[in-house]
Amino acid sequence: MSLSPFFHASLPPSLSLPLSPSTCLSLPLPEHVSLSPFLHVSLSLPLPPRVSLSPPSSTCLSLLGVSLSQTVEHGFPHQPSALGYSPSLQLLAIGTRSGAIKLYGAPGVEFMGLHDENAVVTRVHFLPFQLELVTLLDDNSLHMWTLRAHKGVSELLEIGRFTLTGPPGAPPSVTRVTSVLAHSSGELLLLGTEGGHVFVVEVPGFRELEERNISLDQVANSVPEDYIGRRNLEHVETLQENPVDPNQVVIGYGRGLMVVWDLEKHQAVQHIPATQQLESTWWTEDGGHILSSHSDGSYCRWTVGGQSSKDEEEKSDIPYGHFPCKAISKIVQLPTEEGPPFLLFSGGMPRASYGDRHCISVIHGKTHVALDFTSRIIDYFVIRDGPLHTGDPGALVVLVEEELVVIDLQTEGWPVIQTPYLVPLHSSAITCSHHVSAIPLKLWERLLAAGQLQITHYSPKPWPITGGQNLGQDPPQRDLLLTGHEDGTVRFWDASGVCLYPMYKLSTAGVFHTDADPNDNMNQCSEGEWPPFRKVGCFDPYSDDPRLGVQKIHLCKYSGYLTVAGTAGQILVLELNDEAAEQTVEAKIVDLLQGQEGFRWKGHTRLDVREEPVLFPPGFQPFALVQCQPPAVVTALTLHSEWKMVAFGTSHGFGLYDYQQKNSVLVKCTLNPSDQLAMEGPLSRVKSIKKSLRQSFRRIRRSRVSANTKHSSNAELAEMELAPVQRKIEARSSEDSFTGLVRTLYFADTFLSDSSHNSASLWAGTNGGSVFAYMIRMPSVEHRADEPITAHPAKEIQLMHRAPVVAIVVLDGHGSPLPEPLEVAHDLARSPDMQASHQLLVVSEEQFKIFTLPKVSAKMKLKLTALDGSRVRRVGVAWFGSSRTADAGESGLVVLTNQGDLNVVSLPSVKMQVQHPCIRREDVSGIASCVFTKHGQGFYLISPSEFERFSLSARNVVEPRSLVEVPANATAASKRRAAPDGASADNGYTLRLSVMEHALLNDEREYRTVRRNVLDDVDEPPHSVMSCPHPAAVCDTTALSYAPIFMCS
Amino acid sequence: PACIENKSLSYGAEFRRFSVDRVKPGKFEEFSRLIMHIHRIANMELMIGYADVHGDLLPINNDDNFCKAVSMAHPLLRIFIQRQEEVDYTSFGTNTLTRRKKAVVTMRNDVNRKRPHIRIGMPQDFRPVSSIIDVDILPESHRRVRLYRHGSDKPLGFYIRDGTSVRVTPHGLEKVPGIFISRMVPGGLAEGTGLLAVNDEVLEVNGIEVSGKSLDQVTDMMIANSHNLIVTVKPVNQRNNVVRSSRISGSSGQSSDSGGSTGYPSLSVGGGGGALSAGAGGVALESDEEADIVIESSVKRPSRRSNASVASAASTASPAPPSPPSRPPSVVSTASFHSQLSLNGSTNHQHHHHHLSYQLHRDLNLQNGPQTSNPALRHSNGSLHKILSSLRTDPRHSLALPRGGVEEDGTVITL
Repeated sequence: MSLSPFFHASLPPSLSLPLSPSTCLSLPLPEHVSLSPFLHVSLSLPLPPRVSLSPPSSTCLSLLGVSLSQTVEHGFPHQPSALGYSPSLQLLAIGTRSGAIKLYGAPGVEFMGLHDENAVVTRVHFLPFQLELVTLLDDNSLHMWTLRAHKGVSELLEIGRFTLTGPPGAPPSVTRVTSVLAHSSGELLLLGTEGGHVFVVEVPGFRELEERNISLDQVANSVPEDYIGRRNLEHVETLQENPVDPNQVVIGYGRGLMVVWDLEKHQAVQHIPATQQLESTWWTEDGGHILSSHSDGSYCRWTVGGQSSKDEEEKSDIPYGHFPCKAISKIVQLPTEEGPPFLLFSGGMPRASYGDRHCISVIHGKTHVALDFTSRIIDYFVIRDGPLHTGDPGALVVLVEEELVVIDLQTEGWPVIQTPYLVPLHSSAITCSHHVSAIPLKLWERLLAAGQLQITHYSPKPWPITGGQNLGQDPPQRDLLLTGHEDGTVRFWDASGVCLYPMYKLSTAGVFHTDADPNDNMNQCSEGEWPPFRKVGCFDPYSDDPRLGVQKIHLCKYSGYLTVAGTAGQILVLELNDEAAEQTVEAKIVDLLQGQEGFRWKGHTRLDVREEPVLFPPGFQPFALVQCQPPAVVTALTLHSEWKMVAFGTSHGFGLYDYQQKNSVLVKCTLNPSDQLAMEGPLSRVKSIKKSLRQSFRRIRRSRVSANTKHSSNAELAEMELAPVQRKIEARSSEDSFTGLVRTLYFADTFLSDSSHNSASLWAGTNGGSVFAYMIRMPSVEHRADEPITAHPAKEIQLMHRAPVVAIVVLDGHGSPLPEPLEVAHDLARSPDMQASHQLLVVSEEQFKIFTLPKVSAKMKLKLTALDGSRVRRVGVAWFGSSRTADAGESGLVVLTNQGDLNVVSLPSVKMQVQHPCIRREDVSGIASCVFTKHGQGFYLISPSEFERFSLSARNVVEPRSLVEVPANATAASKRRAAPDGASADNGYTLRLSVMEHALLNDEREYRTVRRNVLDDVDEPPHSVMSCPHPAAVCDTTALSYAPIFMCS
Repeated sequence: PACIENKSLSYGAEFRRFSVDRVKPGKFEEFSRLIMHIHRIANMELMIGYADVHGDLLPINNDDNFCKAVSMAHPLLRIFIQRQEEVDYTSFGTNTLTRRKKAVVTMRNDVNRKRPHIRIGMPQDFRPVSSIIDVDILPESHRRVRLYRHGSDKPLGFYIRDGTSVRVTPHGLEKVPGIFISRMVPGGLAEGTGLLAVNDEVLEVNGIEVSGKSLDQVTDMMIANSHNLIVTVKPVNQRNNVVRSSRISGSSGQSSDSGGSTGYPSLSVGGGGGALSAGAGGVALESDEEADIVIESSVKRPSRRSNASVASAASTASPAPPSPPSRPPSVVSTASFHSQLSLNGSTNHQHHHHHLSYQLHRDLNLQNGPQTSNPALRHSNGSLHKILSSLRTDPRHSLALPRGGVEEDGTVITL
């Protein structure tokens, strides 16, 4: 027998980890939320549902209807690429580079669709007076979408797609679409191509009308001999219809030539021999003139319909002339009833001095303003007054790359109208978010009042885009979403409903001295400056000082106390005050190193606090400030408003601060003395640019390969260089880097020393798998202000698997999580059971573990990572109410893993209940940004500017429900649309699985309420509904049109 | 000075408490003499062991592990003394003191009975580091390797990468993504075992298939299981596969043979009740993994807490707890934090030593003749024992135990 250094053995049965009973979780469908086939595919990431590792336990959580639905996207679409508007529907459409199309009308009216192709949407055109719209993608495919009513709720459906086919052997440029005209008849689509041809297509069926095509040869033959560009007219740049004669269109070719073409007679009517490279054309409303804009920054006005075949160039101008200018990409001229017309054009700036500006110039009489936008202009349009939208220009709507800006053209000074949706969440980059459910009315009103004072410079006019009718119920409660930003601001959003509406903005920068001059951004255009710039828009990604960045937020909704912690170890405690106040904020410096020697902090310095009193406007005003030393980023924060204490942690340790006495109660250093990396600081500026560039490339590469592993260090990066895609298998040791980083802090009133006396306690969990518990001794109420609070170490747990502790929860005698501070005092929660023994739940990235209290011994656990390799990224406690009865329900843990899966773990049995794929695992920032509400909903960033909202709960679903109708000023076109919905719709959605939409389909309760309303309201016989109501009254009477739908169904 | 509690188990419940300088523990010889003096043992070959923080019974027989043992005192160090010939060497190693819940299956030593027993040596310096398991149920081309990590002894020491492997499917050969071992850390556990090699394909981690999982998922799974990592690989070198003897002799004998060495029979030393609470007060919840360390401090008496933290190494006066339930309050303090660090420092030392002796043991041949009547092997079984005991003959290690004539037996010595 050979002497081998190992043993031959067989695995005892107890150790062979059984995976065999991987039971398929069949979820009982709740009656409220449904996983209809339609809704299911409406997930933006149609991942297959995954099988849970453990069968559902006997608890009733699964009966409460835990199912995942992604309901609505908040914020501004990432990388918009096209804009469309239907004056008759009053709907705005935005296409994006990722192939999404989003429609917006009145606040709450939202639709979303996604093209299969995942290609850039380059054009969006509504068919005039129709419910259809056409999109052009950069793969040259055209798509027809419609808003189809189904059970009283409109949904956006793709109903057709089409690609031009040229003659055999023709180069692809012949059919490459460069311009689109949706003809006012609603029946024709004119497609200009790169080859110079115009194809005519019948819509909505996409039938090519070959005999009506306008070929390049037909046009070229008729071009006057003396036209210099005759040899090559280039592509079709623009197509425009004569506003007074639908049979006439102007075809603008790239080289400059414009041809007025008669569609009926199929011949050229007139040639306009411009010689500059053409950018856009505009046919004035009276049909008498054509404006053309050109690449040299000029525009020309041409008279149409003159008897002479030679047309005069009536007027030519280079508005910002003398020196070479950039192209004017789009020009619009609109008449006013009395007075001069409005002339609007984008671009045309002097190339050398202002070539980098993104401007739209508006000229009205003597007023001339160059609106200077924050990012590249995608497109713009003007909304006109009047019932038929033919009156005076009312508002200019501009889509730029990072925001939507609407300018009131009728109020003096052309102020901006605040947008109720599409708000740029990322006007400064989002660094953290915090959600608070069920805000008391009092706090809500005070916040609204404080917010009202901040929006004085906006136009008083109402939002001009009013299409569709919002059928959604009023939200059941008031929810707040707080976002922290890189520039030190905290924005408060009304997250109760479909629209994420800005309520209030808090800036923490005022407390500190910053390098930036506060008046820097204020300087408006000085007198006589040319061009007359005016800055518009709020997107401002440049932070004055990265140290101001907000990292953690905690708001107590009952007391109105807020704590905000930032990048440079600053922790502010703020109080809501309805009056402005001038006060000094005293800083308390807390040394978290506790005399640990041999370290040198290489990161940024502490922020400089203003020593003089600062005037704070009404709203949240800071009254206490803690500054950590070393000033590392704050990694954990919690506030107990009842005890008036704040706990905070960094990579070096944690502290407890009494904000009533403004005194530090406890400081604990958690730093591992051998951890040098923790000392350098994440924002270390010492590194060479070369090195950091190299590292960031590596990071990009790595993030592409897979989701990040948590323990990235420089040493690991160095190893990556040798073999880029390998991973080291090593048990965690106490000497790993950042083991002392505090990941979570938790206040609990529980049993620490014996099972008869409960006391206040602070719990902290670190990156290295340690849990520290401190018993807090508080003086009696009458001595609260003067007797010191003390904290004593009570327990220390070192998890042997050493995974980062991400959450700590104490469960009461019933096994329910302890209520929030003041919740019981406000009668909003059952007081915790203090009779039976409490339990401690420690959630690490790898395991869920229940310990007994007061003597800590492990009781139960659920292993996650050891079994399927996923790790806990975000965790929250949520209440899952039954959709049937109001009181029934239970608490559970909502867990998001690094694989992007949402899990629900029951309490206190720590059993895996449900597993749903939610976010792509590659979307690391999306996973990191996720916040959970207390009611089983959540938000995560799907782009820097958009939150996706999802719901795991049957009872709490927020999603758009709205109806859009055929406009009333029906031309002949509207007759064609007779049977809008009914049975055909049912076939429609099974076929089009890729379509995204938000409406709930089989929500029976909603359906019944709507029907009841309808039946109550309708006095007229149902058949009268087919005649469309007057447009001005659409909003009041749209309910009428439900009737036929119900009759069908 | 570290307080050392002595337990001479073999002679009955016999406790001694004395202190040793923690900083300068001295030589093992001196310590051994001290013990013999204190317990008034003479002319007897002793086996001295101690309980480490993980609740393992480990031997003290040379200067190095003596130093290590003293540095582990927390503040008490429990010493076990046995007569050399009564020592059951299989009792050393992982979880030997804490494994109580798990039923002990005493193995029939079929192999030993069938063949003349090979006396290789005493295993006291070693813990098993790896084993091949489940040979009887796996295809011959696969190998299931279990790596044992003891505390922070030695890095697991390998890397994995993405790759492609070729599978035979009903549709012919198919390329599928797979996970492979990409690198071995020199001196690491994985390399030392010789059971894993670069380019071996990883098929399972602790019984869970890795197909369909990303490299990072597999990494996280392995790290999460690192205390008891079982990797099933398809070795790139298929020539060294285990040839199943069970095909001839039937699998029952084989599995009982191997089963024994997977888990160690628990230490059945008498009167071990007090020993359970030794070490750092680790709570043994499950035997298959390391328990969390819980330190509870008595908040009621803050004054005592501060005393303790200063005198944590010198509190020799307090009496030993009679039974585990009434454990004395352990101490959380910065002092104890530091002492743990010094422990880590000495770990490296120990680790080196292990490694060295390990190499040595690999080079050994069967130099021992058959031996039939070694009492130490009465309860041992299988290859574990043989391998571990092989080292007993190495003079460098046997030096650790002073040999003297052992004549007396079973004497109870009281102070």
